[in-house]
Amino acid sequence: MSSAAIQTTARKPGQRSAPGRAYGPQSQQRRHGRQGLYFVVPFLVAYLMFMVAPLGYAIYTSLYTTKLIGGTVFSGAANYTQTLTDGAFWSGVIRVIIFGVIQIPVMLVIAFFFATIFDLGIAKFGRTFRTIFFIPFAIPAVVAGVMWAFLLEPQFGPFTHAANAVGFHNVDFFSSNLMLPCIIVIAIWEWTGYNMVILYTALRSVPRDIVEAAILDHASLWTIIVRVKLPMVRPAIVLLVFLNSIGALQLFTEPLILQYFEPPAISVNYTPVLYIYYTGIGDNEYNLAAAGAVILGGVIVLISVASLAFRRRKGQLA
Amino acid sequence: MSTSALPARIGTGSEIGRETRRETRRRRRLEEEARTIPIRTYGLRRGTVTILTLLCALFAVFILIPIAWIAINSTKTQSNIFETFGFSFARPFVFFHNFSLLFQNVDGYGTYTQWLANTALYAALGGIGATALAAFAGYGFARYHFRGSRALFYFAIGALLVPISAITLPLYLTYAKVHLINSIWGIVLPSLVSPVGVYLMKVFVEVSVPTELLDAARIDGAGEVKIFFRLALPLMVPGLMTVLLISVVGIWNNYFLPLIIFSQNQLYPVTVGIGLWAQRAQNSGNAELFPLVVVGGLVTMTPLIALFLILQRYWRSGLLLGSLAN
Repeated sequence: MSSAAIQTTARKPGQRSAPGRAYGPQSQQRRHGRQGLYFVVPFLVAYLMFMVAPLGYAIYTSLYTTKLIGGTVFSGAANYTQTLTDGAFWSGVIRVIIFGVIQIPVMLVIAFFFATIFDLGIAKFGRTFRTIFFIPFAIPAVVAGVMWAFLLEPQFGPFTHAANAVGFHNVDFFSSNLMLPCIIVIAIWEWTGYNMVILYTALRSVPRDIVEAAILDHASLWTIIVRVKLPMVRPAIVLLVFLNSIGALQLFTEPLILQYFEPPAISVNYTPVLYIYYTGIGDNEYNLAAAGAVILGGVIVLISVASLAFRRRKGQLA
Repeated sequence: MSTSALPARIGTGSEIGRETRRETRRRRRLEEEARTIPIRTYGLRRGTVTILTLLCALFAVFILIPIAWIAINSTKTQSNIFETFGFSFARPFVFFHNFSLLFQNVDGYGTYTQWLANTALYAALGGIGATALAAFAGYGFARYHFRGSRALFYFAIGALLVPISAITLPLYLTYAKVHLINSIWGIVLPSLVSPVGVYLMKVFVEVSVPTELLDAARIDGAGEVKIFFRLALPLMVPGLMTVLLISVVGIWNNYFLPLIIFSQNQLYPVTVGIGLWAQRAQNSGNAELFPLVVVGGLVTMTPLIALFLILQRYWRSGLLLGSLAN
């Protein structure tokens, strides 16, 4: 229920805003309401200047073309047409989709598995394990990329040695077939802990009485997890799917670092962000890169708004 | 017993001053125990707990492998990094030599300690600024209702899930026009925009700053600004810590934006510096660069891991708030 809507229609003093919330008398809020604007203005100014305006300027830039002869001319949707018909752009898009379709479910299953174990308290040293699993969240992606590049290095890397030792000879983790699986492993290493902690927090807030009732009904542990707990944390899982999808679309740092180690393994259009990076910064094709950035930014804003709409529909957004 | 975790836990955050740390820890443990159902009620077979613990240990090994590798190899020379087994130490032990390289301009492209100082500066300015803006805005949205406040709130958090890297190229294009390329403000100013921070602060204020308290102060004649700084802000400290941590880590780990807006190496943050070294180590043949990348990586991640271990409960409350809607 919208408290702002109430405010514009309600005339009776002392009426409360949204039910169930401990707001003070409406009259007090109305008298001081306008001063709230001063509190939100600094953020809004920064938001407009450094989020909205750059996106607007990128849209503007994307509608023009700069030529050696003739300067900058308006070209309408030409840059978008060129980007969207460029096979190189799409191969990056398809690659991050494959990445996401594999990485996100695998990671969420692992994260949910451990979150459940820790929530139920059915493993020892749960607190210690929880802390260890979360550590990669604090490690910069650049450093993570460097560490994994050393570990997977095809000549000297310990993982290559290990593969040889167990009978897989001539394994090249940097070959075009194994590169993407390696990046998936790196991403799982980086993000499972974060996802696990969010799921764990959500599982903890499932009321104890519900689980106890299920136990009294002789529900098995499996039934409790799948039929009782899982449905109650579904919104958290959906939020994580949104968040991780955006992360997958943004894939950039890890492939770029691996490219430093093994240039042939990662093409300049390996992911959409790499494509935009090399188009804009590498080739100075600003207008074309802007079109790519607008397309990608638009998709991400859409995902963000969709997640808000989803949560609002479920009545979970304050 | 009530298990709606949020108000209970946030309440404990603001009462910290009134009980000793040991009492807090003890109460937390008791609370946690009260919420955990004893294992035996599930009727598990005897070996299950052992097997599950082993699985946890296995995943912990997976997580710790790269960290162990970087710690061990920070003590090695370049040839030993490549020629000796990655998970054993080797002679000569040159950690302190490698560490001293961090203070030198090894290949003429910059000094690690300067980059670390840059990172710390950007993270401090951006983190504090982002937290301040989020605190003001979150409080404004939570405790005032003015014309359009709801619409403005949705406008602000429309970008809730939009990471800074999504607008990095647009920022770069804009900076080229307004001369923010190679300016530290180019990285600090966009870091001030934290829709997640605003959202977290709004939720936090709603559950931990009572309207009655604010109204009482108004009746006593206090001004709005004074009410915010004297009454509301002290109650918001745990939330502020969380937003500060999230912002600092975000700036500390950011790579894409500084990579494209800085072309002068004395402005680089550590992430860009290490990336540059990793690239040059392949091509330049300088025998010190790989050890430098390794020890630099180790020193870069250590402060954040320490910060995270020390301030764990703020992390958790932040993630809790972040997933509040669930």
